[in-house]
Amino acid sequence: MLKVENLHVNVEDKDILRGVDLEINEGEFHVVMGPNGSGKSTLALTVAGHPRYEVTRGRITFDGEDITELGPDERAKKGILLAFQVPPEVEGVKIIEFLQQVLVELKGLDPVEAYDLIVKKAGELWFKEEDLHRYVNVGFSGGERKRLELLQAVLIGPKLLILDEPDSGVDVDSLSVISRKIEELHRKGTAILLITHYGRILEHIDKGDIRVHVMKDGRIVRTGGGELVERIDREGFGGIFEEVGE
Amino acid sequence: MTETITIKDAKAIIENQIEELSKRNREPEWMTRIRYRALEAFEKAPHRDPVISEEELLHFIAKPEIEGVPEHIESIDDLPPEMKALLDRLGISEVEQKYIAGLAVQTDTGVIYNEFLKEWEKKGLTVLPTEEAVRRYPDVVKEHFLKLFRVDESKLTAYHTAVWNGGIFLHVKEGLKVPFPLHLFFLIQESALAQAPHIIIVAEKNTEFHLIEGCTAPILLKHSLHLDMTEAYFHEGAKGQLTVLQNWPEYVHTRPMTRAKIGKGARFINTTVTLGSGKSNIGDPRYWVDENGYVELNGILLGQKDFYVDLGGRMYLQGKGAGGINASKAVIMDESTVITRGIIQAEAEKTRGHISCDALLMSDKATMETYPGLISKVDDAQLSHEAAIGKIREEELFYLMSRGLDEEKATQLIVKGFLEPMLKDIPMEFLVEIRKIIELAVSGGM
Repeated sequence: MLKVENLHVNVEDKDILRGVDLEINEGEFHVVMGPNGSGKSTLALTVAGHPRYEVTRGRITFDGEDITELGPDERAKKGILLAFQVPPEVEGVKIIEFLQQVLVELKGLDPVEAYDLIVKKAGELWFKEEDLHRYVNVGFSGGERKRLELLQAVLIGPKLLILDEPDSGVDVDSLSVISRKIEELHRKGTAILLITHYGRILEHIDKGDIRVHVMKDGRIVRTGGGELVERIDREGFGGIFEEVGE
Repeated sequence: MTETITIKDAKAIIENQIEELSKRNREPEWMTRIRYRALEAFEKAPHRDPVISEEELLHFIAKPEIEGVPEHIESIDDLPPEMKALLDRLGISEVEQKYIAGLAVQTDTGVIYNEFLKEWEKKGLTVLPTEEAVRRYPDVVKEHFLKLFRVDESKLTAYHTAVWNGGIFLHVKEGLKVPFPLHLFFLIQESALAQAPHIIIVAEKNTEFHLIEGCTAPILLKHSLHLDMTEAYFHEGAKGQLTVLQNWPEYVHTRPMTRAKIGKGARFINTTVTLGSGKSNIGDPRYWVDENGYVELNGILLGQKDFYVDLGGRMYLQGKGAGGINASKAVIMDESTVITRGIIQAEAEKTRGHISCDALLMSDKATMETYPGLISKVDDAQLSHEAAIGKIREEELFYLMSRGLDEEKATQLIVKGFLEPMLKDIPMEFLVEIRKIIELAVSGGM
């Protein structure tokens, strides 16, 4: 479904990705780990189509179509959704109005249908109906922001959900609900690309089911199964980097 | 400009207009005398307008009507086609369409509200065209007409006073709380005279009201200079809101002159929503605030094309505990210029004032300037200001677009959101229209 081939990305005159290959098929669960600055977020933002991330070599295809030059809105329409690491505040835009418009545009719902669905799903992510009249992310805690990202994922039901550190800056209770929602989306068939530092977020996920990629200096240096997560949690990246000669 | 208009010529023209107005309005002599006093002051009064030169002003006086606007508009069908198309896109109601076309002149709208307002008149609410108030309530009008302005302050105040026509007289008697917003139009389209409505608001003790004037859709004005004057008096404990909605055609210069006295414990929320692309809009309202009184000046502005806007606002906090807020939010597009220069002067103890100015620049050719002024004459006043001028943040735009909204829709959402917090007191029906206009402006469809 998603195919990243020899991807080189330049951001503000710095080469951040230096030849990434990655293939994700329908319904698969992929985890990307790696130290700070290894290029994990760049990979996520490039696949989502951030205009400041310039692809200098290689390409990205989705369902067989080259999407390297497509805008973020067109990628979203094809079924790619990025849950942001730090979702921005959008002053003056109410969550309910924003999500309604998204569901109208993306899913073709009518606004009333969309409203009911949003209220229903919001409860599952601990948002009360009145919370939906707050402005998008404005004054939100870390946990609230990440839960709102997951709410959008649940409502949109993308083919591919990219989660950029859904566990950073989150309280323990929010972490648990986020983890369970990721598992639920995966179970319903959404392919997942999850970026994280810790294995904790995967507590509800069957480790036998996942592919793990370890990034360093803009490249994937090791790919393996769920056992890699436990090893990294235990001993960090040092051992793995030594093995691959980095 | 082919011929030179001298000040003498202008005075002769104004004099003719005074004659016509006093006759047409069956005006009492005292009012006509005020007009003549203004005519005398006109010659010596200073003129300092950054956009309209004295020569130009004299031309406006000689020839107030602009060319190209249909002479006789008898139905919506007589409107220029591009205007009709815009009204359709905005989904403007029929009543408003008539108003825009100049069909619903003041007396027409008077009829619409008449039966309803008669009921309320018994309870102490008087809403009248100012000309009619001059005849029916001369004592009240005399007490409040031109008391917050001096006729010789400038050529514009003198000219306005000499030829004022149209406007609203709103008088709320002691203790009356008007539970619904009063929406009034007050343009006189058929007149060849200058647009110079005069608004008087008298809110007696412990009253409440919300007056909305104008409308959100562009108005087909026949004049290129619009000089309105508003004098508002809030007695002890009165709470009033004045919301002005305006959408000027691109050839219009507006010079709103607003002043208000805010009594003990009184509150005045003065909101102006400017949506159009006029030529220029320059105003410097003044407010005198007594003990524990409060004034809020909110400016919401969408600057398009080469609109030049200069918004002042002076608040004199004269009584202990008086407060004032001057807040503006401007979306500045195309080649428009917006300048804000509010001044808050603390003259009594425990007074508070705050100036805030936010601007969203949508084009490299747009300009924003802000000059907040805080003056304290006491040692325990709390005065502050903040300003932020910026573009749409890339991160916000990317976030919204990554949810499937195209760039235009995402931009519309951000721009509407930017203005939204300032629109909290605007009734829903106008809010819907305002949002629509913002959307159209963002997508270049105005």
